[in-house]
Amino acid sequence: MNTFRTLVTSSALIFLRSKQALFFTLFMPLVIMVIFGMIGFDTPPTYDIGIVASAPQPGTAQFIAKLKELKVFKVHEGTLADERAALEEGDRTVVVAMPDDLIDGAAQAPRELVVYVNDGQPVQAQSTISMLNQYLDKTSLALAQAPTFFTLRQEKVASRDLKYIDFLLPGLIAMSVMQMSVFSVAFLFVQYKEKGVLRRLAATPMRPFQFVAANALTRLGVSVVQTSIFILVGVLLLNATVVGSYVLVALCVVLGALMFLGLGFTVSGIAKTVESVPALANLLVFPMLFLGGTFFPISSMPNWLQHVAKFLPLSFFSTALREVMTRDAGLSDIAGDLLGMLVWGALLIGAATLTFGFQERDSA
Amino acid sequence: MQSPLAQYLSDAANAGMTMAEAARALADAGWTTAHLAAAFGHSVVPMGSADVIEVADLVKRYATTTAVAGISFTVRRGEVFGILGPNGAGKTTTLEMIEGLRNPTSGSIHIDGLNVATQANAVKHRIGVQPQASTFFDGLTLRETLILFASFYDRTVDPDALLADVQLQEKATSKVNELSGGQKQRFSIAVGLVNEPVVLFLDEPTTGLDPQARRNLWDLVRQVNARGTTVVLTTHYMDEAEVLCDRIAVMDHGVIVALDTTANLLAAHGGDAIIEFTSDRQVDETLLAGLREVRSVRHEDGTHFVATAQPRHTLDDLFGAGRTQGFAIGSLTLKRPSLEDVFLNLTGHQLRE
Repeated sequence: MNTFRTLVTSSALIFLRSKQALFFTLFMPLVIMVIFGMIGFDTPPTYDIGIVASAPQPGTAQFIAKLKELKVFKVHEGTLADERAALEEGDRTVVVAMPDDLIDGAAQAPRELVVYVNDGQPVQAQSTISMLNQYLDKTSLALAQAPTFFTLRQEKVASRDLKYIDFLLPGLIAMSVMQMSVFSVAFLFVQYKEKGVLRRLAATPMRPFQFVAANALTRLGVSVVQTSIFILVGVLLLNATVVGSYVLVALCVVLGALMFLGLGFTVSGIAKTVESVPALANLLVFPMLFLGGTFFPISSMPNWLQHVAKFLPLSFFSTALREVMTRDAGLSDIAGDLLGMLVWGALLIGAATLTFGFQERDSA
Repeated sequence: MQSPLAQYLSDAANAGMTMAEAARALADAGWTTAHLAAAFGHSVVPMGSADVIEVADLVKRYATTTAVAGISFTVRRGEVFGILGPNGAGKTTTLEMIEGLRNPTSGSIHIDGLNVATQANAVKHRIGVQPQASTFFDGLTLRETLILFASFYDRTVDPDALLADVQLQEKATSKVNELSGGQKQRFSIAVGLVNEPVVLFLDEPTTGLDPQARRNLWDLVRQVNARGTTVVLTTHYMDEAEVLCDRIAVMDHGVIVALDTTANLLAAHGGDAIIEFTSDRQVDETLLAGLREVRSVRHEDGTHFVATAQPRHTLDDLFGAGRTQGFAIGSLTLKRPSLEDVFLNLTGHQLRE
C-alpha cells in the first residue's frame, strides 16, 4: 500500500510540475472558453441590404428610415453601380432599387422595386425578401386604410434562457478532459518508454499495473479539479447557468476520463517515439473536436454525418454532461449515453492492455 | 542418520546430481538452512553461498539473429565480475536476461538460488540495476526519486545518506535532468542500491564519461563492492575491466571465448612481453637470444626488440650481459601484454574497430 501511495503522490507531483500538461489541460481550454464566451453567439444575425434611391420623396425617405430601425437589417445607401459592385463582392445580401416616389406615388399606380439577389447567400436573401415583402404589405394595408382583422399578442412565459455559454461549457469540459486524458498520458508514457524509464521500473518488484493505476487515478483527480475550475469560471465570469446534479456531473466526468485514459494508453502502446505522439493522437482526437458536439450541436450537422458523429466517444460524453448541466437530466435520462461511454471505455481499455506494456515484446 | 534428508541426499548422489543441483532441488522442495541445521545438528552455510549467479546454456535468438549463442558461467559471491566485449557481442542482452528484463530462448539463470524465470519477483528484491541509459522522472528531485524507488521494495530509506554515499548530497533537491553525465551515473547507482541488493548490475557504466568522472565511478564501484555487494558489469573498455574486475568473461559474437582472472587471462592468452631498448653499440642477436625466457629477437632502426615469456628473468640477464660484455643500455621500455592482446589472440580481431 505504501508503494501505491508513494506512486500516486509522485505522479501528481510530476503532473503539477509539467508546464506543458498544465498549459494544455487548464490554460488553453480556459482561454478558448473566455474568448467564445465573450464573443457571444447569442445576438441574432444581421443582413446587409443596399438601398438605391437617388432623390427620395418624403414618404419614401420615411420608409427607408423605418427600415433602418429594424435591427435585422444593416442598411447601406448608394448608387446602383456602387451597390451592385458591393453585392458582387459578397458584401450585400440583397440590393433594392427603389423608385423615389415609392410611397408618395403609390396611390396613382403600383410602384415597382427591383431586388438584386446575392446568389451566394440564397437562404439569407430569401428571408430578407420575405421580411421586405411583409413590411411592404403592412405599408400597403396602412395606405389602403384597410381594417385590421388579425392581431398577434405576445405573452412572455418565464423560461430558462439557454445562452451559448451554457451550451459551450459542458462541451468544453468534455473536450478538455479528453485532451488531458489522452495527451498527458501519451506524451509522458511514450517518453518513459523511449528513455528506458519503464525498463528501469521493470527491474523492480513494483507491478506495472500499480504504476498505470496510480497515473490513471491522478488524472481522474485532475479531471474533477479541471471541471470545477471550468464551472467556476463559467458561472462567475461568463454568467453561465448550471442546473442539475453535481454528483452526476462528476460521474460523467470520471467515466469520460476513464474512457479517454484508455485511448491515451492505447496511443502510448502504439507510438514508438514521442515525435509520433501528436500525429497519432490528433488523428483520433481532432475529428472529435468538431464532431463531438463541443462547439455546435450534433443536430445541426448533415443527416449522414449525424449518424457517425453521435457514436463518437466524445459525443456520448458531451451529450450526457450537457443534458445534466443544462436540463437537470437524471440518471435514467442519460443512461444511454453512459452506456455508450461504458462500451467505449471497455473497448479502449481493452485495446490499451493489448498494445501497452512495460517491456518490448520479443519476437523470439 | 536415516532421516528423510539423508535418504534424499544419498538418492541424489546415486542419481549423479551435482552439489548445486542437489542444493537447488532441496530449496525447491522447501528445505531451508534452518531445516538443514536441525538435521545435521550444527549451523549450515547458506545454500549456493559460493556462487551467487549461475547461468547455464543461455541462448537468445531473434527472428534473424542469435544474440547469445549458449553461454554458461557462474559469478562468485562478493566479486566484481566483468563481461568484456565489443559492441554487439551480446553483453547487454546477457545482462538483461539475468536481470529478468528479457526472456531467454532457452537456458536457465539462478540468482541466490532463485530461478529468474519462475521466481522473478523474489529475484528483483535481491538485485539492483543500472541500465545503460539511466533516465528517471523529469518532475522529481533526487530525494523524491529515491523515496519512490525504495517504496517499490516496501522499504523506507535515508535518501540523504544514500546520496552522500555517491557524493550527491548537495543535489538532493535538484532534478535528475540537471545532473552531469557522471553525476547521473552515480545517482543511478544510488537508486540501484535502495534495496541493499545482493548483486548490483552495471551496464557500460562509464561509456561517454570524461576521464575524471570515470575514475570517480570506479572508486564508487570498489566502495560498493567493499561493503560486500557482488558487482556484475559489462564494458568494452580494457582498462575498466583490468582495474575493476576480479574475473572477466570475454565475449564475442554471442559466446564466451574465455573466462578467468585478469592475470590468468594475460598469462594464458596475452602472448609475450616485449623489451625494447637502445644501447651505445649494437648487441649481438645470438647473445640476446640466449638470455633466459627469450622467445624471439629482432633489431630495427637502432632499437632491439626482445620478446620474453618472463620479463623479470630476461631483464636480470640483460643487465648482467651489459656489464660483462661492456655495452650500456640507453632507453628501455617494457611492453606487457594487455587485455587488448588477449582479445586479439582469442578472436583474431580488435576489440574496437
